Formats: sequence, C-alpha cells, structure tokens
Amino acid sequence: MTILVRRSNLMVPASQHRMIRWAWNRNADAITIDLQDGIPDAALETARETLQSAVAQVGKAGAEVFVRVNAAYVYADVAAAMCRDLRGIVLPGAESRQHVAEADAILTELERHHGVELGSTEIIPSIETAAGVWHIREIITASPRIRQVCIDEAELAASLGIVQGADPDPFVYARGRLCIEATAAGVQPIAVADPMGLSTENLSHDDLVQIATDARNLGFKGLVCPHLNWVNPVNDAYTPTESLVDYYTQVREVFAQALAAGTAAAPFAGRMIDVPVDEWAKDVLAMSAACAARDAEKQTAHEKARIWQETAP
Amino acid sequence: MADHPRRLKRSGLTMPIVTERFINNAWHRGCDFINMDLEDSVPPNLKDVARNLVRQSIPVVNKGGADAVCRINHDLMEADLNAAVWPGLMMVNYPKAEYAHEIRRMDEIITRLEAERGIRPGAIEIGANIETAVGVANAYEIVSASPRIRDFGGASGYDMSRDLGVEMFVGFDQFVYGKGEVELTARALGVEPHAAPFTPNLTGSVSDPDRAFAEADAARRCGFRIGGGLHPNVVEPQNRGFTPTDDEVADAHWVLEQYRLLSRSGDTWIQTEDATGQPRIIDRYEAARAQELLQWRALCEERDREKSEAISRVRAAEEHAE
Repeated sequence: MTILVRRSNLMVPASQHRMIRWAWNRNADAITIDLQDGIPDAALETARETLQSAVAQVGKAGAEVFVRVNAAYVYADVAAAMCRDLRGIVLPGAESRQHVAEADAILTELERHHGVELGSTEIIPSIETAAGVWHIREIITASPRIRQVCIDEAELAASLGIVQGADPDPFVYARGRLCIEATAAGVQPIAVADPMGLSTENLSHDDLVQIATDARNLGFKGLVCPHLNWVNPVNDAYTPTESLVDYYTQVREVFAQALAAGTAAAPFAGRMIDVPVDEWAKDVLAMSAACAARDAEKQTAHEKARIWQETAP
Repeated sequence: MADHPRRLKRSGLTMPIVTERFINNAWHRGCDFINMDLEDSVPPNLKDVARNLVRQSIPVVNKGGADAVCRINHDLMEADLNAAVWPGLMMVNYPKAEYAHEIRRMDEIITRLEAERGIRPGAIEIGANIETAVGVANAYEIVSASPRIRDFGGASGYDMSRDLGVEMFVGFDQFVYGKGEVELTARALGVEPHAAPFTPNLTGSVSDPDRAFAEADAARRCGFRIGGGLHPNVVEPQNRGFTPTDDEVADAHWVLEQYRLLSRSGDTWIQTEDATGQPRIIDRYEAARAQELLQWRALCEERDREKSEAISRVRAAEEHAE
C-alpha cells in the first residue's frame, strides 16, 4: 500500500501575489491557495481570473496544489480553479453528508467540462463547527474523493465561543474524535496549525518541530501551515530521522533473530521487542522510504523549475 | 442468559503459553486471573504447539485460585477457540476486536463448545479488546453483540498507538478520546469498564511495583477495578491498589453512621468534621459511595481468602506427597 506523504500543506492567500510567485520554492509537500480568508468579495473576481495560472505557479516544484473555496461560492470557485494541475479543494464548514455530496457533484461536472480525469480531484473537508465534529463519520465517508480531513481550530473556537489559545485545551474531544473516526475510515486527519492553541509569532525552528511532533503524536498525518517558516520544521517532524531509522532497523533484526530462536519477545536497549514493536518498526521504515521518495520527486521537479526560471527571458 | 457470578480481575499475568516455566510458576503469585497467551508472545511457527497446550494448562494455572483466561489470535479465532474452550476456563480474550459480527461468531462457537464439553451455558466470558480506531468507532455495536462481554476497555497501548501512528511514551494522553468512548460504551451498556487513567510514563517499564501500585490506585479512584500485567512484580501492588484500605473502610463506616444520624434529623445533608478534622459533606451520594466501597472491599476479601485457601491446599498436598 502506498503511503500518502503530505506532511506540510502551506496556506497562501490568493490575493498575495508575491507569495503566490515564490511559494513553490519553499519545499512544501502541498500548497493551498486560499480564496476564503482575507479576500473581500470585490477582489474575488480578480483572484479567480488568475487562479489557474496561480495553481500552475505554486505547483511547479512538485507541491500538490489545493484551493480553499468559499463555502458560499463553491461552484464559482471550483469553476475558476479546475485544471489538471489542481489536486483538490479544501471545503470549509463541512457539516453533513449532503454538504460533501454537493461539492462532489460540482467537481464531477467541472472535471468533465475541463477534460480532467473524473473523480481525481480531492475534497479535504474542513471541520469548523460542533455539527461538523458530531457528524464526522457521515462527512468523511460521503465521497471517495476524501483522503484527508482537517479540523480548523480557529474557526471551531469562534463557532463555540472559545477564546483562542485557551488553557486548559478545549479541543481534546474534537481532535480525538477526528483522529479516531478518520483513522477508522482510512482517511488522514490533518491539523490546521494556527492556532493549535498557540500564537504563531516568535516561534523558533525547534518550537515548530515540537508542535508538529505533538500533532503527529495526537494522530495527525500532517499540518496545514499558516506561514512559510512552518514548512521545513513540519517536514522534519514527520520524517523519521536517520538515528530512528537505524534504531528500528536493529529492532527488526533483533526480533527476526528472536523468532528464529523460538520466542516472540526479546530484550533490546532496555525495552522488550515483541510483535507490536516490530510492526511499528515496519511502519517507521516504510514511512522513511515514502518520505525519501517524495523528497526525491520534489527535488527533481525543483531542479527543472529552477533551470526553467534561470533560462526564462 | 442466567446470571453468572462476578469474577474479580484486579491483577493478572499474561504469559506465553509455550514457556513452560512461566505457566508452571504462575499459580502461586496471587493473581486474580492468569492470561495464557496464544497471540503476540508466541512465534508463528509455534502456534500449533501453543494451541495444544491450553487444555492441560488450565488446571495448572487454576490451582492457586486464579481464573484461567486465554488470549487467542484475531486471525485464528476458530481454531484457537476450539483449543481453548474447556472446563475451568473463565474467559477468552479476543484481540483487535473491530466488528460486532466477529463477536457474534465467537459467541456461536463458544455456545456450541460449551454444550459439547459440559460447560455451564454462558459461563465463558468474551474479552473484546479494543486496539484499533475501527474498534473504538464500533465499540457500542461490539459490546451489544454478546452478553458474554462482562467487562470492556482498551483503546490504548502498543497496537492502538501503531494504528494511530503515534508514539507510546510522549508525556500526554494520546488515547484520551478513545478511552473515553469505550468507558462510556461500557457504562451505558452496563458492563464493567476497564481503563488506565493517564499517568505520565516515559520509561515503559513493565516490572516497577511502585508504578503498578500508583496506576492501580489512580484507576480505582477513577472507578475502575480491573488490572493485569506482564511481570510477577506487579501482581501484589495491583491487588493492593485496587482494594480499599483499612482507613477507607473505617471512614466508610463513619460516613454511614453519620448518614444514619442525618436521616433521623430529617435534613438531606450536613457539613461536619471527620476523625482527621477535615470538613466533610454527608449526603445520600456520599453514603452510596461508602456503601459501594464496603461491598467492593468484601468482594476483595472473599476473593483473597479463596486464593490463599487454594494455595494452602496445594502446599499441604505437596508436603503430604513428600
């Protein structure tokens, strides 16, 4: 089974032309062009006009490209975004099966119209309300287009009347429910890193690695990054380190030897190695290989984009 | 299905059934139950050997009064049940339970084996261990699938962490939602919940008696009564941690006495001071808690007596034989 490696998903407002021009160069696994936040309705029309070229621009170094549409203008936004380079849409405020089914139908219609492979455009539902949290199962099983689901804590806080960054953590239940239900359905839960209970200012690389590591240990498979400087720390936190790969390679050897010797439990480095630990080791090594493959893919695309950029008139 | 006596499960050792030394020595450790493992601690090439050992091992682990439990393999359910369901077995542990139909199938097979092998109908319990996200998502249907499920829990541990892709010892509770779901399911359906309240653990030690006591004590204070472990060091601390102390018993008697006086006064609650000078509220909730504590302590004492008598009998027989 191939592992979907989508560690960092960088959110870039459609109206920020400088960021749209340079985001490709920041090593994100995915980039989401945002039509929702920070764009007045009057500017939407202009943003839509240049959307297809923005999709191509941000994706030229191998990032998968998404567009966050407006809940109120799904059809118009998707119509502007649809092209072969578009990987999918982020659907804000998903609350029901019906909501997803409508977006699915719109995507199918526009895929057909634009000659894009039917069913290839993903939907990432964004959970932003109590109703969304409650109906999570019907939402994420409503369309085969759904491979990831995110919980937008800033929106959820606003809809529940919770102060952002509140302590104690108000989202234990919502986050836990998302991770369990998504994992059960074979869909990846991802976190929207702003706020994750945090202010994004003045965070060092190490702080950001820690935040992403905590998110990973809550069960999230990736983070939607609010700023450029989140991308590399998030990638780092989700990529097994060399020493971890060495350790789990040894774990697998020790366990294989134990099995050959007739036991399914063996001591190693102060821990007991048994079936679940060996299974975990397999997962870590598979993840490491999948990350390496994804990085190589991006590297190749990046080389091409850079040469193109340099030789362009 | 007829009523079956409640079996206490404060402490239990899980051990590979193929390791004869473990199986032969477990009976005198004082566990409430002994879990003979056919699953993860048994290598694939020994599964057949392991299966053939269950029937003869039941009386061995039973002889010190511990209840015999067998953990079967998820993917070898039918063959393992056929090897494990014999008189003297209390419970079958089914790992990675995910769907109600699995439990219904187990129930059918066990029902047939009970009839064929002279076991009281409905006596064998099913432990449906939740170790995956799918299991949590289907918890309610799973517990509803068979009256043989008399306790229920899980949603934490190595398999769960693997399924969620989270590390084990991270300093916060990665499993809090799943544990909450299975506990609510158990309580809503009237079966005994078992869970481990979060206590920070960065070592992963399975043999530390102080940690075992602290965890059992914390679990009991959260309303849980079920333990179990891998190392003999943790048996006594778990029995102790899950059993109300003498001080708690004295306090419960005092609470009930205060409540009797209160009832006569016609008031519904009163604030007073206990023996240590602490301010206390006495009302019917507090009285109910004290009552339950005394009942639980009596069950613990009875179970401890049962086990120590069994162990004495074995010892006396051994001396007689010499």
